Amino acid sequence: MPDVISQNMPFLLQGLVTTLRIAALTAIGGTLLGLAVGVAVQLRLPFVAGLLRVYIEFVRGTPLLVMLFICYFALPALMGLHVTAEQATVLGFVLFIAAYIAEDVRSGLRSIGSGLVRAALATGLTRLQSLRLIIVPLALRRIIPALFNQYVRLLKFTSVASVIGVQEFTGSAMLVNARVFAPVSILIFVALTYLILCLLLSSVGRVLHAYLAA
Amino acid sequence: MSKPIIILEDVSKSYGAVPVLRGCSTAVSRGEVVVVCGPSGSGKSTLLQCINGLEPYQSGSILVEGVEVGAKKTDLPRLRTRIGMVFQHFELYPHMTALENVVLAQVHALRRSRKEAEARGRRLLDRVGLASKADTRPGKLSGGQQQRIAIARALALDPQAMLLDEPTSALDPEMITEVLDVLIELADEGMTMMVVTHEMGFARRVADRVIFMDQGEIIEDSPTKTFFSAPVSQRAKLFLSKILSH
Ligand SMILES: Nc1ncnc2c1ncn2[C@@H]1O[C@H](COP(=O)(O)OP(=O)(O)OP(=O)(O)O)[C@@H](O)[C@H]1O
Ligand SMILES: [Mg+2]
Repeated sequence: MPDVISQNMPFLLQGLVTTLRIAALTAIGGTLLGLAVGVAVQLRLPFVAGLLRVYIEFVRGTPLLVMLFICYFALPALMGLHVTAEQATVLGFVLFIAAYIAEDVRSGLRSIGSGLVRAALATGLTRLQSLRLIIVPLALRRIIPALFNQYVRLLKFTSVASVIGVQEFTGSAMLVNARVFAPVSILIFVALTYLILCLLLSSVGRVLHAYLAA
Repeated sequence: MSKPIIILEDVSKSYGAVPVLRGCSTAVSRGEVVVVCGPSGSGKSTLLQCINGLEPYQSGSILVEGVEVGAKKTDLPRLRTRIGMVFQHFELYPHMTALENVVLAQVHALRRSRKEAEARGRRLLDRVGLASKADTRPGKLSGGQQQRIAIARALALDPQAMLLDEPTSALDPEMITEVLDVLIELADEGMTMMVVTHEMGFARRVADRVIFMDQGEIIEDSPTKTFFSAPVSQRAKLFLSKILSH
């Protein structure tokens, strides 16, 4: 390992921890929100479903960086509350990725045949029970590969947060570079780290999918 | 044979402008086995699905244990626990084991304790000859095994009647018998059943009555013997000659 890396390891690791924290919070929040939005839209909940469709389309037509600026600059100004750069980042990322996850959830729900729903209802389960006990768990299992694609994607786009001053992994590495100027070693190290993390993440997804596949 | 458990009176239903049931009336008494047959698209599945409220109907009346299925205030989930249903394509929950399939509604619809539900589930799996498959997922089982589990799932709620929609028509020939055997045993024990099937040997063996449907109408509703020896309608005759010739 080149000296520039090992000498700055504690600082870089700190950035990496921030990256992982943001990614984990985004993945959890994005999955929960995406699940709720996906189910609500698919069930065509009156009024709500229409609004949520607008949200999904809005996010899908907005660059991530713009989403981040909205959460960091516009929202606090509009609502008069103070948010840290990291809070704004997690909020923006969650709102962003949830729109995509909601679409994955919907396609998972659509993949479940009406016969299965009828069978569940025929055993005396209510609509809500069949949704909670059968349809949603089954849909989630089917979309595990898609979900992990989103997790990989969001792990990589956390680097965008450095733009608003969050000292995540890429940002920290660039700070080191500004001091010691060794872009080649530093960027190779940064890229390899993301690559390894992404590979790990997708293999977790594959194992989970194989284990839960039905 | 005592008072009817299912009563249909002049039931009609249409999808948009297309009528699928026209003025259907019949009654099924406790302990009776009724086979329903008829050409594809004649409304057999729709008829069964109306009986447990899976499909709405526009006019007429369906009473299950005296409760009007179509009435707004009817507690359909509760009514459905009283009637077991078995489907052509099994419709087992693919992400659950055989035992979990049989336990689920006992716990969540009947509010039995998990322990009680599992004990009952294991007894029923044993009864359909699949005790050893309790922890297996449906995807790893043959069609015949899956259908027997679906029957156990329906029986787990201690239903007062069973509705079976072509329970063997998705099965390979060598698996039909194992499923029919379970149904024959059920019939012999006095279970009330409506079975849509084209297995005429089964019908002769266990049915008390045969209903023949065509284009949404109940054309014939006769005791089994009469139906096979002297069907009243021309259409039933034609249907029988086609189905018995292969
Ligand atoms: N969801 C639906 N929308 C519109 N028409 C439908 C729908 N479901 C069924 N039908 C029509 O209703 C009629 C009766 O269908 P049903 O499934 O009850 O017939 P079936 O006797 O069970 O036929 P099969 O032997 O093929 O199972 C058919 O003409 C069918 O095309
Ligand atoms: Mg049918």
